[in-house]
Amino acid sequence: MIRLATDVGGTFTDLIAYDERSGRLFLAKSLTTTDDQSVGVLDAIAQSEEHGLSTENVSFLVHGGTTVINAITERKGVRTALITTEGFRDVLEIGRGNRPDLYNLRSSSPEPFVPRHLRLEVAERLDARGNVIRELDENDVLRCIDVLKAEKVEAVGIVFLHSYVNPAHESRCAALVREALPEVSVCTSSEISRQWREYERSNTVAMNAFVQPIIRRYFRNLEVAFEKKKLQGPYYAMQSNGGIAKFEKVVDAPLTLVESGPSGGVAGAARIGSIVGEPNVLYFDVGGTTAKCSLILDSQPKLDSDYKLEKTRTSPGYTVQVPVVDIVEVGTGGGSIAWIDTFGRLRVGPQSAGSTPGPACYGRGGVLPTVTDAKLVTGVLDPSNFAEGRLKLDTDLAKKAVNLVAIPLQMTVEAAAEAILRVAEETMINALKLVTIQRGHDPRDLALIVSGGAGPMLGARLGQELKVRKTIIPTHPGVFSAWGMLAARPRVDVFRTVFGDVDEAGIAIINAVLTELEREAVGYFELPTEEGLSFSPKVEMRYRGQEHSVAVDFKRSASIADLLDTFNAAHAKAFSFDLPGSAVEFTAVHLHAEAQTDVINVARLGSEKWSESDAIKGHRKVYLGDNGWVDCKVYERTKLSPEVDLDGPALVEEATTTTLVLTGQKFHLDAFGQLIILPG
Amino acid sequence: MDERSSIHFPTISGELPDFDPVTHEILNGKLLAIVDEMAIVMTRTSMSPVIYEVLDFACGICNKDGDLIAQTNGITLFTGTFGVQVKSVIDAFGDTLAPGDVIVTNDPFSGGTHACDFAIVRPIFSGSRIIAFAINIAHWLDVGGAIPGSLPPNANSVFQEGLRLPCIRIARDDVVIEDILKIIRGNVRLPEMAIGDFNAQLATVRIADRRVSEIISRYGAETLELTFRTLLDESERQARAVVAALPDGVYNAVDVIDDDGVGGDPIKVQVTVRIHGDELEVDFTGCPTAAAGPINCARGALNSAVKTIFKALVSPHEPSNEGWFRPLKVIAPAGTIFTAEMPSPTGWYYEGSVHASELVWKALAPIVPDHFSAGSYTSLCVTYISGRDASGDLFVHIEPEHGGWGGCNDRDGASGLIALTDGDTYNYSIELLEAKFPLLVRRYALNTDGGVGAGRYRGGYGLVREYEICTDDAEIYCGFGRTDTPPWPMEDGQPGSVNYLEVLDKGGLTERLGRSPTRAVRRGDVVRIVTGGGGGWGAPSERSVDAIASDVCNGLITLEKAQKLYPHFSTARAN
Repeated sequence: MIRLATDVGGTFTDLIAYDERSGRLFLAKSLTTTDDQSVGVLDAIAQSEEHGLSTENVSFLVHGGTTVINAITERKGVRTALITTEGFRDVLEIGRGNRPDLYNLRSSSPEPFVPRHLRLEVAERLDARGNVIRELDENDVLRCIDVLKAEKVEAVGIVFLHSYVNPAHESRCAALVREALPEVSVCTSSEISRQWREYERSNTVAMNAFVQPIIRRYFRNLEVAFEKKKLQGPYYAMQSNGGIAKFEKVVDAPLTLVESGPSGGVAGAARIGSIVGEPNVLYFDVGGTTAKCSLILDSQPKLDSDYKLEKTRTSPGYTVQVPVVDIVEVGTGGGSIAWIDTFGRLRVGPQSAGSTPGPACYGRGGVLPTVTDAKLVTGVLDPSNFAEGRLKLDTDLAKKAVNLVAIPLQMTVEAAAEAILRVAEETMINALKLVTIQRGHDPRDLALIVSGGAGPMLGARLGQELKVRKTIIPTHPGVFSAWGMLAARPRVDVFRTVFGDVDEAGIAIINAVLTELEREAVGYFELPTEEGLSFSPKVEMRYRGQEHSVAVDFKRSASIADLLDTFNAAHAKAFSFDLPGSAVEFTAVHLHAEAQTDVINVARLGSEKWSESDAIKGHRKVYLGDNGWVDCKVYERTKLSPEVDLDGPALVEEATTTTLVLTGQKFHLDAFGQLIILPG
Repeated sequence: MDERSSIHFPTISGELPDFDPVTHEILNGKLLAIVDEMAIVMTRTSMSPVIYEVLDFACGICNKDGDLIAQTNGITLFTGTFGVQVKSVIDAFGDTLAPGDVIVTNDPFSGGTHACDFAIVRPIFSGSRIIAFAINIAHWLDVGGAIPGSLPPNANSVFQEGLRLPCIRIARDDVVIEDILKIIRGNVRLPEMAIGDFNAQLATVRIADRRVSEIISRYGAETLELTFRTLLDESERQARAVVAALPDGVYNAVDVIDDDGVGGDPIKVQVTVRIHGDELEVDFTGCPTAAAGPINCARGALNSAVKTIFKALVSPHEPSNEGWFRPLKVIAPAGTIFTAEMPSPTGWYYEGSVHASELVWKALAPIVPDHFSAGSYTSLCVTYISGRDASGDLFVHIEPEHGGWGGCNDRDGASGLIALTDGDTYNYSIELLEAKFPLLVRRYALNTDGGVGAGRYRGGYGLVREYEICTDDAEIYCGFGRTDTPPWPMEDGQPGSVNYLEVLDKGGLTERLGRSPTRAVRRGDVVRIVTGGGGGWGAPSERSVDAIASDVCNGLITLEKAQKLYPHFSTARAN
């Protein structure tokens, strides 16, 4: 059986396929085709076929990538309408009315995804408990249908107030529209989110409707192409929640694919953590322009159910209520440009040289110094052995670029390069602290897993600064998101906004809702019973009077006292204080359901007779700050033997990247081929 | 990309900083991360919607002299208050501060704003020496006084505006002094909420202490203090460069504050801005004496109001610190509406101070048109609805309203954004508030009937929000400014529209309110909140026909009104 994953990125489409019988691995990279991304996917498959992949043997396929986020970013959706409760069609446009750009006295708000003349209202109203105050006026719906027809609308979202408690009016309205306009794509807010906050739910359904027809078409094309290649199904898509779902499921709620690519990496990190016996992981992926970090606790990625798209320091962005792995992104990556600001301070990023022209050392016309140039100047990178020797790096061009900051700072070129790295690392460390220390998690309890082309060069220093237990460079760090997709399981997350006191009655309500959610999950997986599924229920709780809640694991058997203890401890951990004895209430239930399918296995390496001299490719001088130029052994990763401890400083080279190990650190390959760096 | 990211390589290195610029950059990043962490803790743990929804709080770090070093704020009101508050703590306690001390102060006349804003200050030590202060200021929902919410719109003295604690030690050795908590509990209406917010504030300054101490133990106190000095000097240099590039001259603006809350005449206010070299002087001489009602602000709030505009001018995106404001001088005689003194009421101070901000904005807009829009709806239009719910419990719903901003020199104004005095302030979710309060929202929409200032670039739209009262026991009060004097236009644009609140009773009678003391409302009454549209920029005759057609298509303006305001639109349609 062959497991195959494709990850469509901004520049490249990665493919990874693993033949479980032979242990053979296929890796391919094609250029991403922006107009129809399925072309690039098929290119990558064709490349692998040339290397002997037989598509008929593929029986597990995951597809992930940037398709949905691109359609949104480039506003390539369809003509979309929104039907709302009478009196509330402007909620989508008003948003939350905030000005994050405080001192900009020419502020503007994000443009809504549905223009005002396509936002239609119908008479109907529920109260906060879901009781009907005003029946749905079906004549209003019919009037809307006429407008939709006249306006040649291709997709419609429906959002009514308090539908998170009672979706009946939305469902009835959707049924009427679907019946009258079978060719129009229709979705309701409650089909995608059962959480409160009307703007966020309105925006979720509007954006979902906006991309749905395009995504449906895309997946249909892909399916046809896969079938033609005789790839066996079912075909899965990588969702943003760290799990996968069948194609026919994701086209119902395409917005769940919004962070598909990064989520693959997070799923992979969770899996690697399990393999090496580290359930608590800090995952860090360094790309060309940005770096992303996520926290994984008990082998489970943390989810963010209020995800903000296109949020920047100056724009509130668009909030969507779909489960997305909690990712903190910083504008510092391998291509980030170093510069000196008007204060005379050295800064790195957020501008990036990207892949064109790329860092100065690529010799493709880039003249500004980047993190990659700094790595070359300090000797971490081998100019003749970058990207498997396909690209020769030019050290002189890198030095010339770094001199642009070295001269005004009155530093030597290597000291300036080191300074660039320190500033870049500091930005990354602050982001890593944001997801750990600032949320009450001590990095000393965590393992740091680093991926991405530039990640392994930086990992050892970051791990040292954060004092993590160990730093792990997984196998295939360059195509780790795709690898992670093979490690993900079919998964669904269902949320309900529910209120109740933490008492017998409240717990009874939670149990009843949970039973309902479990039934929903069983239905989602189209199973007769819950056999083969694992359920992880959580409840959100807060002290009465608070707005924000803390999520804690919920056990049906737990007593009130246990639950309160768990909550008080979680609150104290996250916010440095708790208020035992204060009234506590439930605000939501979250069920994470996962099918217990097999995932990619990681073979144990054989322990052959090994000699260090075989693994050493040579020596290189690396500039390590205060220690100056230090002689480092250069190892070939594929020739390291498992469980043999080696000492830093050292460089470990592999096809797509180079790992730097610092003086005083130890490192080894573990039994599963993971490169592990330990503090001295 | 904003202007921060422009790539710049100085070729001359004559003015090198006197220490390692890399360490400086790293410490600077750490300081900003600390104030960010304080803010995260504050929003996530606060008990009151004013804080977690409105973000009516700010966190910061000052140096040992009380100069602001780093700050996060969700609103602009606290732009310049920290320094004065910390200095008042230094004056009050001198050398007697010890590690583990926490001071509380909410006195408007010691650099504060109004009694509802509680500042918590914690000195941070290196050994026996104070290196810095952590400060957190947050709006408490109720601090006692004449009415729930503590802001009687018709107050005529500060004594009606609740409990004041002018620089009181509230913790020693990191242990809260129970007697002070008793005073607070005994004097506020929602003691649990107040103590909850106090706990959240306490947690933020404790975290700041821990983090700054980590920096000190790794880099040393001297290095940190050198970073403080460098930050202030660098910001000052930048600010001076911006001011120096502006044309020297004297710039004036006038405006009117409609109603002081106790029924006085409209209040004419004015400013003179003098730019000379790299210094900017803002002079409020000539403004009237303090009003009888609570829209006065004290000098601390005035300075903050002016600093807000100055920051928008010199560097809207760089983090704030005291250095930016060194080229700024604010002149105002004591005892005026902008420099009120004991015992003038200041509860609604931000309704006064926002006019001080807008005056400076209006004076500068003609010379820096790419930094400023035309006039906005200005007033936060804060509305209080309180009463007892079905189970007899007291509820207080307090809400600032969002409204229309002015047109810009290159685009239309923004609709439904929060006023200048606030910032990253969310509107209140309807689903959330209906689950909490006996209120039913009937409409939340753009205020198309009131309209906006026409112009080449029109103003943005205000909003309409209607509450139906669903309890027998409720009352409202409110503080709406710009109820008569509409938002000002720029160049040849037209003024915007005004704010007001209407109570529609079941009998069909409508009463219009602006700044109104407590008034009973009954089940079935509707409270309609209307905010104005912004002023227009440029002559309406220069507005593009496509833009007008789009507004008509989207129902923002009727065809008739469009043809009247924009005669060239009729001509274009006829052709």
